[in-house]
Formats: sequence, structure tokens, C-alpha cells
Amino acid sequence: MYSLKELTLLDENGIRSDGRGINDLRSIKITVGVVKNADGSAFIEFGKNKIIVAVYGPREVHPKHMALPDRCVLRCRYHMSPFSTDTRKNPAPSRREVEISKVMRESLEPSLILSDYPRAVIDVFVEVLQADGGSRCAGINAASVALADAGINMRDLVSACAAGRIADNIVLDVNDLEDKEGDADMPVAYMPNLEQVTLLQLDGKLTTTQFNECLNKAITGCKAVYEIQKDALMKKYFGNEMELKEEA
Amino acid sequence: MQEIKRRYVIPGDKIIEGNYKPLMNVVKSGNYLISTRVGIAEAGKDGVKVIPLSGVYIPRVNDLVIGKVIDRSSLSWDVDINACFLAHLPAQDVFGRDFSPAKDDMGRQLGIGDLIIARIVSFDRTRDPMLTVQDKDLGKIPYGEFIKISPTRVPRLIGKRGSMIQTIEQATQTRVIIGQNGIVVVTGRDPEGLSLAAKAIRLVEEESHTTNLTQRVKTLLNVQDPEDQEQSEAVEASSSSASGGGIQEPEPPQASAESTPQTTSSQPQPEPPQASAESTPQTTSSQPQPEPPQASAESTPQTTSSQPQPEPPQASAESSQTTSNSVKTSSSTKEKHKIENSEKSSNSNSNDDQKEKKQE
Repeated sequence: MYSLKELTLLDENGIRSDGRGINDLRSIKITVGVVKNADGSAFIEFGKNKIIVAVYGPREVHPKHMALPDRCVLRCRYHMSPFSTDTRKNPAPSRREVEISKVMRESLEPSLILSDYPRAVIDVFVEVLQADGGSRCAGINAASVALADAGINMRDLVSACAAGRIADNIVLDVNDLEDKEGDADMPVAYMPNLEQVTLLQLDGKLTTTQFNECLNKAITGCKAVYEIQKDALMKKYFGNEMELKEEA
Repeated sequence: MQEIKRRYVIPGDKIIEGNYKPLMNVVKSGNYLISTRVGIAEAGKDGVKVIPLSGVYIPRVNDLVIGKVIDRSSLSWDVDINACFLAHLPAQDVFGRDFSPAKDDMGRQLGIGDLIIARIVSFDRTRDPMLTVQDKDLGKIPYGEFIKISPTRVPRLIGKRGSMIQTIEQATQTRVIIGQNGIVVVTGRDPEGLSLAAKAIRLVEEESHTTNLTQRVKTLLNVQDPEDQEQSEAVEASSSSASGGGIQEPEPPQASAESTPQTTSSQPQPEPPQASAESTPQTTSSQPQPEPPQASAESTPQTTSSQPQPEPPQASAESSQTTSNSVKTSSSTKEKHKIENSEKSSNSNSNDDQKEKKQE
């Protein structure tokens, strides 16, 4: 049974169940500005994950008593659609969704300059249309791009990527099967320009060496994701021109 | 100090290294200046700034904004100014110091749903914005085409010294009132002109960051280059002086719209401005006008009767729209350009006056 699992997750050539190598990311595509009614939005395809994020704000806080006098309130809602998984997901917020909403909010908060908008609120809605493991990382990536699209003052973008352990190998960007059958899963969110980690979770057991390797690998993944986020934003706002041409 | 080229940035991008002053949408991190918004970074002797390309409106003191009255209390109106805070317009500002909530009927001045152009007099981190309409060109906007654009596109829509908005206004024969909060109201007599102006404004909004935008707007509006225009104007001027008014005027309705308030104020007329207001009902009574209660168009009929109008039935009512709104210009640059226009149109005004006198 164990050997079968090992064979399925990682073969002797270092090829994973979905055909990737141990250092490969899934294909990532980000589109910015997909929700017209929102102040900022993004759609991400992270492998088989499909997530749409809409950002509203800064806007008036309702209920008013939630407002903070010195800074903005960040509200985050992670939600999985009933059709996002193979068996129907109850649309009511589950314990897992409430927790992921919290960790997403905490991972995005350090990148935002919330003191610029006192007595206001920023709402981030993360809707998972199709889930395939690593949806919180994909959600953070899209949310960060959507926040930039909404024109909220940010110190840096937040990029997220997971790393994990499968059959004593540290692999990058764990998918759903690897998450369930693997030995460890470590989602990391990172601000690439400031070189600061904003989220680090670990599900499973790792030795110190494995932990360091896993963290470094996840950060490498985050940096790769950052380039895709940057390209998506640049494409939305500046088309294909990366350099500004001075007007005569 | 090292000058850098303007370049596109996203949040977190390092703009420049060194001891520069962060001006706008820039933070200092270590020895670097970092952009906090998607936009165009500029570094000069004064400091480093990023011109943002997205974002909601954050009120600033002295901004001219267009807002919608959404509620009223016994002492003030609540105005939605397209920002994260509701603005307040005190009733005393409209009624004067002797305002009494028991005596004065606030609904008579401003109702819920009314659009106003106002100036922000106070706003800080702890208080909601406070508005005033106690200034020239401020107050209720009776009618017009309502367009909402991103507040970050407003400077581009106005253009350098009002060039862009001037181009749109002249080509479409409309009057465009712009609020710093991204709300634009377009008024004019010609429905085609209105839709063309709206299209041009949308184009500016969508392609605000691109180069050669003014040229593209001119192409959309079928505007000639300034040199050609000057030549054609010179030709027309010579022909009109010979024949006493050409058939094809490049901007007759514009001139009429702009000329009206200035006619009353600047031209040496026997009647004072109030007198011209008195003259309005005489003419308006003879013409069916879909006029709002506050018919603020003072000398409209004069203009209507004197100008060569392409659409006579609508003309008086719609020119009055333009007149009343032309008073309420949103920015100082626009005021400046209005003055320029008034100078342009002063010739046509004097002709108009002569014609009116003859008719009388």
C-alpha cells in the first residue's frame, strides 16, 4: 500500500502524479479587473484552482461600531462554491473557511498601509470556483493583485506558494492529492521586495533541515509567482509596453 | 541630484535609491523609495511621486466635487461625494447665518437626489468632509448627462492647462463640469454632441496612461489640428466680416452658450444683470420650456433669438441649460479657459446685441 502511494505521488525519475518535477509550479494565469462593479478584482487559475477575488473599498464601515479611529478595517471572506469540489460543498461558511479567511486577512494586512484610511473598511471577497489544493495560496495571490487594482496603498505585493514533503522529498507547490496523501504541507506567503514572510503554516512533520529546505523552496516559488502577478498588473494598466514613452 | 526617467510601477517597486523626499504614493524603506500604487513614477528635485492609475477618491480640502444629496437632518444635508465618507453641507451655508430649522424649509433649497457642485472646506482623519456652496459657480446642478469616471483620470481629462476638456467642449459644443471626485456632468443642446462628449470622456478614462491621447481624442471628435483651425478661422473671420455672418460657423452654439453670462456682466448694456433676468419671463412665456423651478438662465432668450440655431424648437430651452451650467465650472483651469473663450466670443456677442436692438 505504501509503495503504491509512493509510486503514485513521486516516481523513481522524480516525476510527480501530475507530471511535474519536484521544483515545478503548476501553470498560473492571472487576469486583472474581471469584476466591473468592484473597485479591484482578479481571476487566478493556479493549476486546476479557479478563484475570483473582488475588492471593495476603502468604503464606509457598516456596522459603524466596527470602525477604527486610526486605521482601516480589513475584512476578508474566503468561500468555496458548492460546485468547487467533487462532492457538493455546503455553501454555509465552514470552520475551515472561517479559519482560511482569518489567515488570508493576516497575510495581506502587513502589505497594506491601513493607517492611510482611518474609519473606513476594505472588503476582500475570495470565491473559489474550482478547488485543487493550495487554494489559500492562490487566493492570497489573486487578492493581493486585486488590492493593487483597487488602488489601495501597499508596501509590496504578497505572493504565496506552498511546499511540502512527499516520500522524503521536498517538493514545490503541493496539489490536492499530494496535500492529502503527502507527509507535510507548508503554505507560505511572502513579500518579495521587502523579503518578509507574512504567512507560514505547516501541516505535518519536518526535521529542521527539511523545514529550512521547504521554506526556501516555498520562497523561491513565491518569487516566481510574483513575476506572474507583476506581469498581470502591468498588462492591465500599461498593455504590452513595459517602458514609458514620453509624449511629445 | 539624479533625475530619473518616468516609468511604470506597481506596489513594492523600488523607484530610486538615495536621500529623496517621498511626495505622493511613495514610502521609504531603508535607502530606497518604494511605490505604493500602480502608476507612473516621477522623480525630480522636489522629491519622488507616483501618479496613480487606480483608486477611489480620498477627499482633500479645497477640492471641487460633485455630490448627490442623499439625506438631510434638521441642520445639514448629507452628500454622497463618491468617497468613503459622507460629506455634510450645513444648512447655514445655504440659508445664511440666520437659518432657523423651525422657520426655514430646507427642502425648498435642496431635495434628496439633487446634484450639487461644492467645495470641501474641511476634512481630516477624524472628521467627515464639510462642504460649502458659498462661492462663485457653486450650487445645484439642474440638469445634465451624469458620467462617473475613475477619480485618478480627472487630471488627464482636464489636460494640461485644460487643453483636453477644452478640445472636447469645443468639438462637441457642450459644457463639461468635472468634480475632483470623478463625477462629470455634461450639458449641451445637441444630443449627438452629448453622446460624442461622453464617448470622448470614456476614451480618456480607458486610455489615460497612453501616449498621444489628445491626438486620438481629436481624431474621435474630428477636430482639425490647431494650425489648420487657425487658418480656417482666419478665412471665416474674413468672410463673415464681408458678409455679416457665415453659414458654417465653427462654434456658434458654443459661443452662444458661453457668451450669455459674459454678455450680462462684461458688455456695456443699458440693463443691469437683474434686468436681463427680468426679461426672461417675457420670452419664456411665449415658448414651451421644460424648465426646472429655478430658471437661472438669465439672458437665454436673447441669445436664442439672436444666434443662428440649427434646431429652433429646442433651442431656447436647451441653450438655457447650457447657460445656467456654464456658470458652474469645476476647476480654475476651466475658468481660465472660459475667459479665453469669452474673449473669443466677444465679437459675436456685440453682433448679437446689435441684432437684438434691431429686433426690439
